[in-house]
Amino acid sequence: MTDRVLTATVVLTLATAAALAAPSPSPIGTPGKHTEDSCVGCHSKLDDSRLRAPAEVAKSDIHLTQGVSCAGCHGGDPSSDDSSVAMSPARGFTGKIGVRTIPEMCGSCHSNAAFMLRYSPNIPTDQLAQYRTSKHGQALAKGDTNVAVCTSCHGTHGILPPSDARSPVYPTRIVETCGRCHGNAALMSRYGIKGDEVSEYKRSVHYAALVAKNDLSAPTCKSCHGAHGATPPGISSVSNVCGTCHLSQRERFDQSPHKDAFAALQQPACESCHSNHAILHPQDSWIGMGDKQICGSCHSAGDVGATAAASIASALAKASSAEVTTLARVQRVERSGMLMDEATVKLEEAHQAFVMAQLEIHTASVGRVESQTKAALGALTAADKSAAGAEAEIRYRRSGLFVSLAVIALAMVLLILKIRAMER
Amino acid sequence: MRMLEEFWQALDERFDLAPLVEFATHKEVPRHRHSWAYYFGGLTLFFFLVQITTGILLLLYYRPTSEAAFESVQFIVTRVPFGWLVRSVHSWSANLMILSAFAHMFSVYFLGSYAKPRELTWWSGFALLGLAVGFGFSGYLLPWNELSFFATRIGTDMVSKVPFAGAWLLKFLRGGEDVTGATLTRFFGFHVAVLPMITAALLGLHLALIQRQGMHVPEGLEEEAKTRKPIPFVPNFMLRESVVWLLGLAALAALAAFFPWELGVKADPFASAPAGIHPEWYFLFMFETLKLIPAHVLGIEGELLGLGVFGLGGLVWFLVPVLDRGSRKGHRTRAFLVLGWLLLAYIVSFTLASLAGVFK
Amino acid sequence: MPAAHEGPAISRRGVLNWLLGTSLGATLLAALYPVFRFVIPPEVAEAPVNRVLAGKLSELPPNSGKIFRFGSKPGILVRTASGDVRAFSAVCTHLNCTVQYRPDFQEIWCACHNGHYDLQGKNIAGPPPRPLDAYKVDIAGDDVYVTKRA
Repeated sequence: MTDRVLTATVVLTLATAAALAAPSPSPIGTPGKHTEDSCVGCHSKLDDSRLRAPAEVAKSDIHLTQGVSCAGCHGGDPSSDDSSVAMSPARGFTGKIGVRTIPEMCGSCHSNAAFMLRYSPNIPTDQLAQYRTSKHGQALAKGDTNVAVCTSCHGTHGILPPSDARSPVYPTRIVETCGRCHGNAALMSRYGIKGDEVSEYKRSVHYAALVAKNDLSAPTCKSCHGAHGATPPGISSVSNVCGTCHLSQRERFDQSPHKDAFAALQQPACESCHSNHAILHPQDSWIGMGDKQICGSCHSAGDVGATAAASIASALAKASSAEVTTLARVQRVERSGMLMDEATVKLEEAHQAFVMAQLEIHTASVGRVESQTKAALGALTAADKSAAGAEAEIRYRRSGLFVSLAVIALAMVLLILKIRAMER
Repeated sequence: MRMLEEFWQALDERFDLAPLVEFATHKEVPRHRHSWAYYFGGLTLFFFLVQITTGILLLLYYRPTSEAAFESVQFIVTRVPFGWLVRSVHSWSANLMILSAFAHMFSVYFLGSYAKPRELTWWSGFALLGLAVGFGFSGYLLPWNELSFFATRIGTDMVSKVPFAGAWLLKFLRGGEDVTGATLTRFFGFHVAVLPMITAALLGLHLALIQRQGMHVPEGLEEEAKTRKPIPFVPNFMLRESVVWLLGLAALAALAAFFPWELGVKADPFASAPAGIHPEWYFLFMFETLKLIPAHVLGIEGELLGLGVFGLGGLVWFLVPVLDRGSRKGHRTRAFLVLGWLLLAYIVSFTLASLAGVFK
Repeated sequence: MPAAHEGPAISRRGVLNWLLGTSLGATLLAALYPVFRFVIPPEVAEAPVNRVLAGKLSELPPNSGKIFRFGSKPGILVRTASGDVRAFSAVCTHLNCTVQYRPDFQEIWCACHNGHYDLQGKNIAGPPPRPLDAYKVDIAGDDVYVTKRA
């Protein structure tokens, strides 16, 4: 009997050793083919919800649907149903992955261009390199594990591509994702960050465009700060960042005296007037030296800038109020039934010139703003003339009808005389 | 001159026009204190003729679809030569016609001309007033502007309150559940075909009856009428009527000059009703009365009660020739005279008060 | 020879009749003149709401654009480098400025905030959120007609 036990033990040991010694089947399967692995199979049946959760989202996870099994990140043997084999360190099982090693682990595939080519021809592979330059990456390298790593934004299990609307990094959801840390004032104060950026951004027109108008091209955190290389833009590059979309304004700013002046003063260009996160709709009333106006924060009363600001403000105000009155007049005449096509075209022209005038504010040049407001006023005068012409036509018709009234009255008088004559 | 005589001869040979000429030359209009009242009927007819003329002219350019109606009216008033005049005259003449019709009706009432043997004239006249108001209501929607759209919606809402037939009537009028392009097309059909046809028939009857029966001399004025020489219809009364008609024409020209009819803003069915929506002035007294009635009276819905009272009132008014027993014998009952004055006072005061904004 | 006292009466009645006839005639004319003018259709037979003559083909060389009017709204007629004629609403979908054709970009461009549209009218760069409305183009000889789609 000892013989049999001995044989059995040896066979078993050899089998286990053989099994363990045999190389693990590759955790990377055929691209696009969903893997069936033992990890999901076992974990989906567990009682502990924390351990069951990853298995429950496995079906939608992009890695699993592309053929990369759990073992692709966690190691181990996905083909074995025996948990001691499947989760054996000898098979490379690492268990829960430490925060500090996550970027490198993800990068081991995602930075490998040849490897990623199997999945998508144009997929970026610079994420890890960018991350290392970011504030998050730099802090992590110094040992701070409180910063964001890949999984903080993309999720750990059930990772969806950023183009999927349910992904935490889909454009409309980014601010909530960043806000999980950046909205926590206590946490941010440890890094000297105010912590109000998220709430400020939510007041902005960019946020409104993104969330209310569903304009996915509207900037969110990553648009200005970078996604993987997340860093606040430096003083000199603020206008570069804004100018990516606001090219017309940026070109004009570059022509203005403000460009060099701000650089010398180490002032962030666009942000100085428009703010960085709480970017609201600019108002013409901002221009000037008064209380709620912005020019006075640098300029002193009577200096070149203050004088220019006053001229610009008055030119804009004049054009703006003329637009309102002319529009009201044209609409009134149109409602009464006169053709106002010419006037409407002129009003459109005036409006366009006014928009261009607001654009020219960035040149800080009174001449350039005034050339546009003059064009606007010219078009408005033409529209006004058209409306006046129509009003004159209405008066002319009235006088024409007066004449016919006179003729009718004459006829009536003569008829009465005729009747009298007849009945005498 | 010779040619005219020959022409007349030719017609007379074929159609025996002599009796007609006899009738026309002998037709007389009684002359008395209240002969002035005899002009209102003709004046109403004058405004109706203006409506037919200007209406046909508008018909040359108007398009009865919700997509094009407003634009076609805009085209008429901005681009068609004198289109603004034709349109303004059409809108004003509608109002003057109804005003004149009311004046005609009340003067007929107060002079007791509804009495036997003129019951049918009164009844056809009553129907003609209803048709005139129908013309006004259907025509009001046709420019398809904001005011007219919402006024029509509110106006047609009322018919849904009629018991039993209310829902069917609403769908019949609106061409659907709500006021849409279908309503516009339907109202257009009523306005240019159905109502004109019925009006032509009833007007023909109304005028024929008057020719047959002659003008009524009011109670108490028979002596005066006998003493004073009656007015020969041809040419005297006709010339006098021309003066009145010219006055009507002058009024139209003045109104078109001083108060040209607005084009307004195109109707948007999805916009909310602008503040201060109200129907045309001839509906105002009913409109304000219905607004004053509380939501529920003795368990009955206020509006339904109001409409019921108006319906009943209309019925009484219609049946006046029968109800006023005294009038059949030539002595009209005083009570009906008082009723008439009360009704006139009610209509005038409520209309003026509404226009003055008393009810706001 | 008429009696002396009848002389002035006849001429007065004559004058009265003549005046009456003339004034009634004048009234009739004043009423009929607008009617006659009304029934003759104006130059532009229809309100230019749905269809306009936008321009002449001979005046539109390849790789050029032209602004035309659709009632009171601007439209843009574009002839591509390959000779194709297209028409769009010229009202920029961002803030309603009037767009223009840029032969250097071979794109439709808005001067106000640097919006770009491709030659299908699609918004491809800058702030415009939506493409330009495309219109139907019909060419009859040298005439280019543009119709709004229903």
